[in-house]
Amino acid sequence: MEPLEQKFERRDFGWLFAMSILFFGLVAAGLWQEYKTAWRPYQERFRLVLAQQGQLRQARSFSVGIQQIWIPDLGVVDRCVTCHLGYDYMGVLPADLAQPLTPHPLPALIHHHGFNRFGCTPCHGGQGWATETTAAHDPGDSWNDPMLTPRLAASYQMTVGELLQMRCNFCHRQEQTTPGMDAINLAKQLYQTKKCAVCHMVDGRGGHSAPELTYEGDVNPELLDFSHLKGPHTLFNWEYQHFIAASALLPTTAMPDYGMTPPQARAMTLLMLSWKHLTYPPQYIPAPPPNHSP
Amino acid sequence: MNRRLQAWWRKGLWAWNPASERESAEAIVRNLWLHWFPAKVSQRSMSWSYSLWLGTAAACLLTILTVTGVMLMFFYTPSIERAYGSIKDLQYAVSFGRLLRNQHRWAAEGMVAIVFLHMARVFFTAAYRGPRALNWLIGVILLLATLLLSFTGYLLPWDQLAFWAITVGTSIASQAPIVGPTIRYLLLGGHLVGQQTLLRFYVLHVFFLPALIWILFAYHMWRVRKDGGLAVLESGRAARLMQPKAMPASKSYSLFGLTPGTSVAVMSSMGLEESEQVPASPTLTRRIALVFLVVFNLTLALALLFDAPLQTIANPAVTPNPAKAPWYFVWLQELVASTTVRLGDFTLSGGLLGGVLVPVILLALLVAWPFLDRSSRACEGLWFAKERARQNLTFLAISLAIAALIFIGVFLRGPYWHLYWLTTPRPTMPRVL
Repeated sequence: MEPLEQKFERRDFGWLFAMSILFFGLVAAGLWQEYKTAWRPYQERFRLVLAQQGQLRQARSFSVGIQQIWIPDLGVVDRCVTCHLGYDYMGVLPADLAQPLTPHPLPALIHHHGFNRFGCTPCHGGQGWATETTAAHDPGDSWNDPMLTPRLAASYQMTVGELLQMRCNFCHRQEQTTPGMDAINLAKQLYQTKKCAVCHMVDGRGGHSAPELTYEGDVNPELLDFSHLKGPHTLFNWEYQHFIAASALLPTTAMPDYGMTPPQARAMTLLMLSWKHLTYPPQYIPAPPPNHSP
Repeated sequence: MNRRLQAWWRKGLWAWNPASERESAEAIVRNLWLHWFPAKVSQRSMSWSYSLWLGTAAACLLTILTVTGVMLMFFYTPSIERAYGSIKDLQYAVSFGRLLRNQHRWAAEGMVAIVFLHMARVFFTAAYRGPRALNWLIGVILLLATLLLSFTGYLLPWDQLAFWAITVGTSIASQAPIVGPTIRYLLLGGHLVGQQTLLRFYVLHVFFLPALIWILFAYHMWRVRKDGGLAVLESGRAARLMQPKAMPASKSYSLFGLTPGTSVAVMSSMGLEESEQVPASPTLTRRIALVFLVVFNLTLALALLFDAPLQTIANPAVTPNPAKAPWYFVWLQELVASTTVRLGDFTLSGGLLGGVLVPVILLALLVAWPFLDRSSRACEGLWFAKERARQNLTFLAISLAIAALIFIGVFLRGPYWHLYWLTTPRPTMPRVL
């Protein structure tokens, strides 16, 4: 009869061997997962593009790895530039270079809004921490600041340039007109001409007979009544329908129907969504115009 | 050359060279590693089907959690400004950070489950009888410490899931009469989950609770030997003790009656045939290495395949709909929610039943059970002994009820705490854009 000790050895050794092989397999899979990142091929292509465009010195000194713009003042860590490598090669690399290597299309805007001061996500939204395509652009439950993409803008019948103005107004909130922010400028003008401040309070000025709007952009959409709303259940759509015909959305509301056109209602919605409780440092807020009375 | 190499090898690795046979014998006697396990282990306790090696698996998970946890500590900052960011860094920028966090998370969830299953095994085999009752009590404390360890770790990522799970969990605790609100205040360091809570939970999670568990685990292990090994040996031992036989000459009562009871060595092998035993090294050590590898591979595979959850940053102003406690407490939340009765304006809170009565009664039962069990000692170490059928059915029924409540809470509860079947589409909550 086989001695006990040998029986255990025979039975366990095979399993131990198999588990060890599996262990090495899993460790190898872990190493592969770590190496095979989404951004690595883009970075390798970028180095080639640099060389092809005659940027030999940059091509030589380019080192593969995660890149980020860190702005402690804004609490921003933007790793978008790990893939979007051509962002500050405006005028150097061709403007029609395929994404994600395309240089930023608006050099004049960047002249006043340097990458090292603003990063990417303060204007574009999205998850700056992420180094993966979906997590960065369309993060779902893991991030509550969606990226303002052309597709998202199109779903509200806007261009991405118009939708982005909502975020420009985070800093330009106190200006009456700002170059390049046509939709927001229109909304600010409507706010004056429709005399919204008679009923609504904003920044400590206005009436008390209607809800305060100072931080209207932070409203939790779950607290709104969507029962009469057509289209997607979003804060944007709710505000939009509210400006088109408030009485249709909220039958008991005291707000009159102003008969706004869709572009006007969209502009007003962008303005509402831009009024958020943000703590940007003062150096990011533009100086008021000389004739501005506080 | 060979001799010289050997000399270097010894010099490099051996801290101490025995000068005499007595010294080398002492080196063995005093070596902790050689006394971790008994010298010999019986064939019965090596069986896969008796213990299912669940206790060993729990210890392996604890080891994995300690090692991955210490590594995670290098990157984690327990402040409400930095905590969430440091987890995002781990997820996206730190080499192997995501794998490390995933493995830590899945091992932690696994440990809660395995520790419970280990307890169930001990119950079903009546392995808590007689002198083992003390070790059962240590086990109950270890289960509670494991739950608390997992619960404190739940908060650390500082995302919505963490924030609201801790809010719900500590609110259940606050339902206890008189002391409830004080316990919650003490845990949170205030009335709301905040910086104080994060720091308290962090210190509990990385120091006090692991230290408690490691110390109790060491004692738990030692008691297994002290109580005569696994309970599966008892039936054979009882039979053999009936036939008196001379103890082997080499065995002696080491304490010579200075203390009551017998020494570990005597108890662990008493009444067992030499022929049924194998040397613990390498048979037991190899088996433990095997269990460790199985557990490690499983957690690593899970870590490779599934990401640990991470939602948006904690926001006290926005409650996720629905907000759920961690899965191992969700059955209490389910009880609290479904036993709350509303009659017009009058609300009878289910907090008393779900938050106090049920957990306290169950805990009291766990503690008292070894002393209430009146079945004969012959049941010890037997799976589902007929004599204990009613006890086992009771335990099984309670466990299944808890499992069912957990299933309902985790999978079937949707927005507004309404019930949805798994395949029923749930209403999408309104978004900003």
